Order: sequence, then structure tokens, then C-alpha cells
Amino acid sequence: MSAVTERPAAAPARPVSPFGEAWRMFRSNRPALFGLVLLGAIVAAVGYGTLFHPADPYEIVWAPLAAPGEAEGVPLGTDYIGRDILAGLLKGGGPTLAVGAAAALITVAIGITVGALAGFFGGWIDNLLMRLTEFFQVLPALLFAMVLVTLFSPSLTTIAVAIGVVSWPQTARLTRAEFLRIRELEYVTAARAVGARNGRIIGRVILPNALPPLIVSATLTVGVAILFEAGLSFLGLGDPNTMSWGLMIGANRAYILEAWWPVTFPGLAIFLTVLAVSLVGDGLNDAFNPKLRQR
Amino acid sequence: MSATVQPILDVRDLAVRFALPRPRLFAPRPHLEAVRGVSFALAPGRTLGLVGESGSGKTTTAMAAIRLTRAAGGRVLFDGTDLLTLPPEAMRRARRHLQIVFQDPYSSLNPRERVGAIVREPLDLMAVGAASRERDERVRELFRLVGLRDDQMALFPHQFSGGQRQRVSIARALATHPRLVVCDEPVSALDVAIQAQILNLLRRLQDELGLSYLFISHDLGVVQFLCDDIAVMYLGRIVEHAGRAALFRTPRHPYTAALLAAAPSLARRKSAGYRRDAVVRGDPPSPVAIPPGCAFAARCPRAAAPCRDTAPELRPVGDSQVACHFPL
Amino acid sequence: MSAVSPDGATPLLQVEDLHVAFDTRQGAVTALDGVSFSLAAGETLGIVGESGCGKSITALALMGLIPAPPGRLTGGRIDFAGRDIARLAESELRRLRGRDIAMIFQEPMTSLNPVFPVGAQIAEAILLHREIDRQAARREAVALLRTVGIPDAERRATAYPHELSGGMRQRVMIAMAISCRPKVLIADEPTTALDVTVQAQIFELMRRIQDEFGVALMLITHDMGAIAEMADRVAVMYAGRIVEQGLADDVLDRPLHPYTRGLIDCIPVLGKAAPDGRPPALSEIPGVVPPLHLIGDGCAFADRCSLAEPRCRRERPPLTGRRHGVACHVTAAQAT
Repeated sequence: MSAVTERPAAAPARPVSPFGEAWRMFRSNRPALFGLVLLGAIVAAVGYGTLFHPADPYEIVWAPLAAPGEAEGVPLGTDYIGRDILAGLLKGGGPTLAVGAAAALITVAIGITVGALAGFFGGWIDNLLMRLTEFFQVLPALLFAMVLVTLFSPSLTTIAVAIGVVSWPQTARLTRAEFLRIRELEYVTAARAVGARNGRIIGRVILPNALPPLIVSATLTVGVAILFEAGLSFLGLGDPNTMSWGLMIGANRAYILEAWWPVTFPGLAIFLTVLAVSLVGDGLNDAFNPKLRQR
Repeated sequence: MSATVQPILDVRDLAVRFALPRPRLFAPRPHLEAVRGVSFALAPGRTLGLVGESGSGKTTTAMAAIRLTRAAGGRVLFDGTDLLTLPPEAMRRARRHLQIVFQDPYSSLNPRERVGAIVREPLDLMAVGAASRERDERVRELFRLVGLRDDQMALFPHQFSGGQRQRVSIARALATHPRLVVCDEPVSALDVAIQAQILNLLRRLQDELGLSYLFISHDLGVVQFLCDDIAVMYLGRIVEHAGRAALFRTPRHPYTAALLAAAPSLARRKSAGYRRDAVVRGDPPSPVAIPPGCAFAARCPRAAAPCRDTAPELRPVGDSQVACHFPL
Repeated sequence: MSAVSPDGATPLLQVEDLHVAFDTRQGAVTALDGVSFSLAAGETLGIVGESGCGKSITALALMGLIPAPPGRLTGGRIDFAGRDIARLAESELRRLRGRDIAMIFQEPMTSLNPVFPVGAQIAEAILLHREIDRQAARREAVALLRTVGIPDAERRATAYPHELSGGMRQRVMIAMAISCRPKVLIADEPTTALDVTVQAQIFELMRRIQDEFGVALMLITHDMGAIAEMADRVAVMYAGRIVEQGLADDVLDRPLHPYTRGLIDCIPVLGKAAPDGRPPALSEIPGVVPPLHLIGDGCAFADRCSLAEPRCRRERPPLTGRRHGVACHVTAAQAT
């Protein structure tokens, strides 16, 4: 018996990639799908909302603190100096989401680089990088970010960088743990045996397999970063020249007893965004978990 | 073990040790002596079996021989060149001649690569075949060679059975026309019916391609089927080294005899009143604390005073090399 | 389809037409499809087959341990001591488990609790089923460790599982399994994770235990050598069905089912070699076991069988014969 071609029964001829499989799992997860739709709606509203409500968020359009529905064309009311809150939400959503995404990207970029090098090389490199990680981890994050923002001008970029700089240690630890685990698997040795160099092993072999938990973590970081931005803005450390949800809350916080709407609507926007991102993150977590796939 | 042909692989006094955590902060770091002065030679086109139980160092020996584990000492001459002293880039290029098939078909293939890409990777890394089309053709040829269909190239590893995955693993190992293939327990994770398919495939490939195998196994039935020469290892040392016929007909080391007695057989029938009389006692000792003298002495039915004091060296007994004070 | 018992003795355990299904993405899949066998006191029944054939599911079904969901018992009876234990409530099953039917698993490390000393774990198992005080249970645990051949049992009883070798751990598992003098002992691949020299010791221990306690042993294995050495009778399973059963000698020497024959022929057994040169090529069973959801109405082995006739793909062959039974259209005439 030579060259017996095994029967096709065991292997369907259609490739099923691990990521495709995860997407199939994700699709059947209702909360996650809801999160994705919600997130899509928020992004769409922020991106195209001004087409339907083309108002200038900086322009004083009515009396200060007009209640929702009180004035024609200002459905969500006005803030403490009479600016349109809906216009602020639509205009301020962009920077808020951008800061969140940029901060998450910075977090992931630093975290993966540090974690991958530490986990792959081990030894003194690992020791050095992990001590560095611990140093950043024990810093009180909000305080450190405040220091960074006050030292440099409080622009969107500074805020994103500040958030990224304080949140990467967790990603680094997660990446390192995954690298330590995967490094010992035979397919990594197999890659070395066919002559792959370290760079290829890190980037093409280990990293794709370490990605699932990192994607989940990065998604959740977007939510954390948005909250962080809101917190900084609330404390008056936001970029005063750019409208953002956090800035709206921060600016109107003194009038909360007279008028609930100038802080509630941006707060609700933040809440829904973070909720959507978390649902997507949890859904991804389940989708990448092979133990749940059998069900 | 022919002396006239230059061996393709000549391992001399190979040693591997693993550092263990310090028991106390300033205590010297203890070591696990995984391989303790192993020497063997493999002639081109032949198969040498490394046999032993867990902890015998058989896999570590092979891994160190092709520099996938760092050796602590010794020489590994591949075609006369010492692999252990090659600079990294030269070693990387030498890998096209020495390949490996792993034990676990589930963890040895990258789950996120298509199997076609897995088999193609060594061709790209070693720049075998000039054009991309040439490499594609070679991948197709390899798939057919190991009994897979080329329309399966786009699939991912998890879509295959264990036996088929092992075929992919073999195709990857053969991609660069290697001369030496290390087979690390390639069938021990497979069901018996699939084992036979893979064993026959390995033998057919050796006949067709003139490969040399360094074959690691704990299963003497498998070893007898595939190996021309066999080295039996116990706690990091070779205790017996002989040709197939000699080893299976007249085992000289008591440990070899014990392994043979424990090997699968349909002849030992309960219905015929078969009982094991002299089973080897206990478990292999820990490689962290190797006893002085012969490592097998504590479990050996023939052990006497000298066995516990002096470690026996390999010496010729009959057609075999045996490390035992009182060979059978 | 009769469950054969050796020489008409009253069986201790009788399994009749057992069906187990698992809910999967492909829908309900039949993992056990009409499995029948019996087990008499003091005898050893070997159940042999490749991974996925249903041999471990059979063992779990006897223990009432089928993971549900996704698994469920969809039919059949398990008669033990005059009761159908397939229909028992969980509380009654719990009393049965460990006391009347005990089980040892392939990997002793994962079946022992890592945070308790092994002696205490055995004592705990004794206290669960017997009305004795803790001191007596401890003493009995040590005695049991001695019975299973653990040297220095007094001291080893205080050891934690990770401090023992694989062979020692399996001995502890056996001590725990026999602690309540069960009538049936199910061993699921008890030596697969062990080194060969240690395997031999465990087999010897199991034989001795059986002689001493008269326990009925159900040995689940993929290893035909273990069947030869340990089993009085053997059932060969393929794709959730028993395809052949009979006395071990009959099945090993005169296999009737083409699958059994293939399984025996493809093992690289020592001594098959020509005195010098190399052994002949192994005979192969082509292809792979079909996934359970793709098995149609016919014989599950038909696609891999060299003797297959058109009928084999249409109709499922029943298990025929009392002494040496086979489920095969082609060789059914040779059953006895």
C-alpha cells in the first residue's frame, strides 16, 4: 500500500481559517452583535451626524441651560453658555473616539513590543523589561497622566500618548505570558528547524497565535481610554480647543444642580460607547475561546 | 555500524545539562544532567534508533545533535563539519540538510497557517527553487509524495486528522531535500491503524530518497520495524548499542531485556496462564540526582556491589556494545 | 443480538442495547449505537478500539458520568445487581459509584486532588461509603497502599500527588478504586501514560488484585498486547458499535471482522522480523475512521474494507453469534 490518499470525509475541501471560525462564533453571540451594531451606530452618528444636524457646537444658539425640547432646532437643549448640546455630541464624538483608539493603539504597540521581546528572549532582557513594566505599573495612572498633560500642552495627541504610556504594562504582561507559553510549542521549534530567523519567529509564528487575547485586551483598552479622557477633561485637563464628550461634562459640571442635560447626554454617550466596546470585547473573548466552539 | 563509509552524523561525547532554579538565594545553581557523554555514528541511508523511557534523554540527544537544544559539550560532525561550532548564519543554512518530524501532530503545525504555506516555508527560507512557480510545483509534488491531495493545500491544520497532520509534517521536513531526518516519536501519538500507514510511508520515503533517519521511540516494535541499529538509553547514557538482529535476538544489557519483555506481544496469553515473573522494580530515578555507579543498578535484577560504585563503560560483548558489569 | 456471557454463568453486569448521543454543531451525533455486553464476577472483559470508537463513553455510561449536556443516554439498559442503573437518580448513582463500581483513569495526575496527601484522599473515599471512624480509615488507607505495592506505605501516605512518580500515582488510584471492595473495576487506558517497564508492573498488580478480590475488570485499551495478557473476553469497538466479541483467544487468533483483522495485522509486533534483514512492510487499513455524523445506514467500516459488498453500504450488519460474534455481512457465517 503506497501513497494512500486518505478519504476526503475527514477534511472538507473548504478552508476554515481560525479567524473565520472566530467570526462565525461571534456572529452567533447576541450581546456581542448588539455591541457591534451599537458601536457602528455611534461611529456613524459621529461621522455623518452633522449632515443631518449641521450646527456649530461653538456657536451660542439660544439662552444658556435651555432644557431639551424647549427651543426649536435644539433637541437636547443648550449648555451653560447657550451652545447646542446635540451639535457638541456629534462634533465631540470624533475626538473622543479618536483619543480612545489612538491611546489603545499606543498601548498595544508599546505593550506588544515590550512583552514580545521579554517573553521571547527571556534572561536579562526579560528581567530588564519586566522591571521597567513594574515601574510603570506601580505609578498611579491618573496622576501620572495628569502630570504628563500639564507638563506638555493639553492637546489630543498629548492626552492619547499620556493614556497609552500609563496603560501599556498590562498588555506587556499579557503578551509576555502568551509568548512564554507559545515559545515552548513544537511548531516554534519546527520553524527554527526549517531555518527561520528570530524576527520571523516572533512576528510570523508566535504573534499571530498570541493575538486573540491581545485583540480582546486592546478592544477593552479603547473603552478604558475613553473613560480616561473623560476623567482628564472633567478635571479640566482636556484640550480646551477641541470639543469632546469629556470636555462637555467638565465644562458643565458646575451647573449640574440647575440643569441635568448638559452633563447627562455626553455621559450617556460615553456610557453607551464603553458598553458597546466591552460587549464586543467579551464577544471576541468568547469567539476566540476554542472550548466554547464545540457547543 | 560500518567503519568503511564516512558517517553522515558522528556524535562524540555529547552532553546536555539544564539549569535548575537555585534552592536558596546564594546557593550554587543545580543542574539536570540530561545527556551524559553520548557517542554514536549514523551511516548514510541507514536508520539509527534511540530507545528509552521518559527521562532517558533520547529526545534531548537528538535535539542537541541538530542544535535545537544547546549542548554543554561534545562534537557533532555532520559530513565532517562540527555543527556545534558553526556560526549562527552558517548553521541556519545547514538546516536545509537536517530536518525533523515531531511527535505531536497537533502542536507541531502552526494553527494559523495553511498547510500549503507550512510546507512551502522551508523552500522560501532556504531559497530553494528560483521562481515562485517552481516552489509551488515542489509543494504539490511533496503533497503527492506523502499521500495527500494537492487540493488540500489551502486547508488549515485543524481540518486534518492526526495521521494527515503527520503527513504534512513529513512533507515539510522533506521540502529542502534533506539528507538527515530526525524522527522524534513520530507515531506514538497516533492510533495503531494510522501508525502503520505512517511507518510504511517513512520506510518508503527512505528507500526512494536515500534518507538517513535518527529515529527516537520508546516502542521496540516500531524500532524493530524501522531501525538498522539501535542505541538503548537510560538516564542520559547509552547502555547498549547494537544492530537490529543482535539486539533483538540476544539483548545484553538487563535493561534492554526488561524493555523487550515489556514490549507489546500477542503471544503472552492470559488463557495460557502467562504471568510476569521478574518485572523490573520501581521507576527510573530522577535525572536530578543520578546515583553513582550504574544508573540502572537500583532496579536491576542482576545488580551486585560493583554496579553501585563504578559506572560501567560501553564495551564490546558479542556483536553489541554494552555498558554493564554483568551483561547477559 | 444477545449479550454473551461466558459458559452461561449469571452475569454481574449486563449492558443491553445502549445508545448515547452527543449534541454537536452537526446536530445530534450517535456516540454509542446499540452496545451490548456482559461481565461476570472475576472475569476480565477487554474493550479495544481506536480513539473515538466509543470505548471511553461506554465506561462513562456505566458510571453515570456522561457529560450532560452535550451528551445523553438515549436508550438501552444497564442491569447491575438486579437494577437498571441507567435509570437511577443521581443520588443513588453516587452511592453506587466508588462502592460497587469503581474506575481508574489514564492520567493519574489529573484524577488526584493536588492539594491533599494521597493517604487522606484514600481515607476520604473510604469514609464516603463506609461507617467507620477517621482513624480506622487512615489505617486502612495505609494498608491499601501496602496492598498495591507501594514501599514505605506509612510515609508515602503523607505525600502529595506531585511528589510521586507516574507509576506510584497509578498505584494510588488503584488503591483508592479498591478501597470499598467494588464488584466491578473499570480501567480506562490505565497504563497508556506510563513507561513500558512501569506498565508491566501495573498490569501485574491488576492481575493480583483481581485474584485477591475477585473483582470483575473491564479493561479499556487500544493495545492488543494488553488484551492478550489481561483479558478473558474481548469486545472490539468501531464508530460506536461493537463489531466483534468473543474469547480473547478466538478474537486474536481467528479474527472475523475485517477491522479486527486489520488492527491485529498492522501492529509492529516483535518477532515478526525475518532473522536478519528487515521486517516486511506492515499491512495497513486504508483511510481514517469516519466522523460520527457522516456514518450512514450501512456498516461504518465499509468504506475502508476490502471485502465490502454493495449490501454493506446499505444495511447495518447485526452482531451475530453467541460464543464468537461478529457484525459483518461477509463473515457472519463464520460466527459461532
